[in-house]
Amino acid sequence: MSDPHFAAYSFVDRITEFDAAKRACGTFAIPAHVEAFPPAFVAEAVGQLAAWVAMDAIDFRGRPVAALATETRLLGDATPGARLALAVDIQQCDDEAVAYDGHASVDGRRIVELADCLGPMLPVADFDSPSALRERLALLRDGGAPEGRFDGVGDIAVDVAAIVPGKVLHATIDVPKAAPFFADHFPRRPVFPATLLLDLMMRRAMDLARAPEALGRQARATRITHVKMRSFIVPSQRLAVEIALGAVNEGVAKAMLSAKTDERLVASARLEVASG
Amino acid sequence: MAEIAVTQDEMMAVYPKVAETMADALGCDVDDIEPNVSLIEGLDAESIDFLDMVFRLERAFKVKIPRGKIVENARGDLPEAEFEQNGIVTEKGLAHLREYLSEVPAERFKTPMKVADIPRLFTPTTFCKLVVRAQKEAAAAA
Repeated sequence: MSDPHFAAYSFVDRITEFDAAKRACGTFAIPAHVEAFPPAFVAEAVGQLAAWVAMDAIDFRGRPVAALATETRLLGDATPGARLALAVDIQQCDDEAVAYDGHASVDGRRIVELADCLGPMLPVADFDSPSALRERLALLRDGGAPEGRFDGVGDIAVDVAAIVPGKVLHATIDVPKAAPFFADHFPRRPVFPATLLLDLMMRRAMDLARAPEALGRQARATRITHVKMRSFIVPSQRLAVEIALGAVNEGVAKAMLSAKTDERLVASARLEVASG
Repeated sequence: MAEIAVTQDEMMAVYPKVAETMADALGCDVDDIEPNVSLIEGLDAESIDFLDMVFRLERAFKVKIPRGKIVENARGDLPEAEFEQNGIVTEKGLAHLREYLSEVPAERFKTPMKVADIPRLFTPTTFCKLVVRAQKEAAAAA
């Protein structure tokens, strides 16, 4: 990849509607060559569109970074080669935080809906060049950026240390020391993307849910709630992950996802999984 | 602006919903939420949790709580220079804080107290007050 900035972890390549501080629509063409584009990345795309509206609304003094997402409904999949249609409605936006709802569709079919998300604003200059961000927003709104620059994130190992099939799993994630996405997220302060961590944890949660002891092979993730990033995860950091799947009740099981570093909780979420 | 008085009855009226909202935000059982427990020291709340709680309370009660300005509110009418000096709450500031956070047991007001440590004093009752004040402000504005 020539320049990973606005490519290695950027999921908006055109903004088609922009009502300042209120709402926006945009698109992202998922490159056909990537292996997959999981729901957490689709949610990231919606969040990034909201971030553009938020940064513009406060004249690029701050940017939303860590996130809270009250509810993310998973309605369908995005496949490589598909074009995401993104939309966000901003509930509130000021120098402290942006609150928003949003959704993503493919071919007119809603695949992800985000409700009541909140992004605390931090000084933009700590993370990226304000002038580069302004130029990028102008480009996105004026015909869009070149498509197909996302190459995937590569393999990030999740080393399972202990597992009780269908119930609980403990694992370690060693955040890479270097990866292209760090140059995009963020150029001045590399942070392991929360949605990337969420995707890794969701995959392990689905492994548990698909065990014969739980919901079986047809299990599918339907909803993510209580997503909360408590602090930044930086390159080379080691994360202790726990996935605990609750009892199946009327074909639905809830998994508690958490990641700790040095015994301190850094990220948590709940995932609902349904049979068939 | 004069502070809006909040009665015990008014706080207790909103308390169940405040406790439920806080438990949801903190991922704990509602029984873990006690009116005067320190949110930071007793329930491991962090700054992101405060933002989360305020956001949820705003939606639950359909009010606007000035996010991130809770400490500022605690200062009230007192000029900043009289409230704190070099990051330490002055005697006058501490007296004001004790009055504003009357629900907090006296022994929890350490001296000297850093401004940055004021959130350590906050309890669910503190947030009940914020909600009731926000409700009254909204009613007055209407």
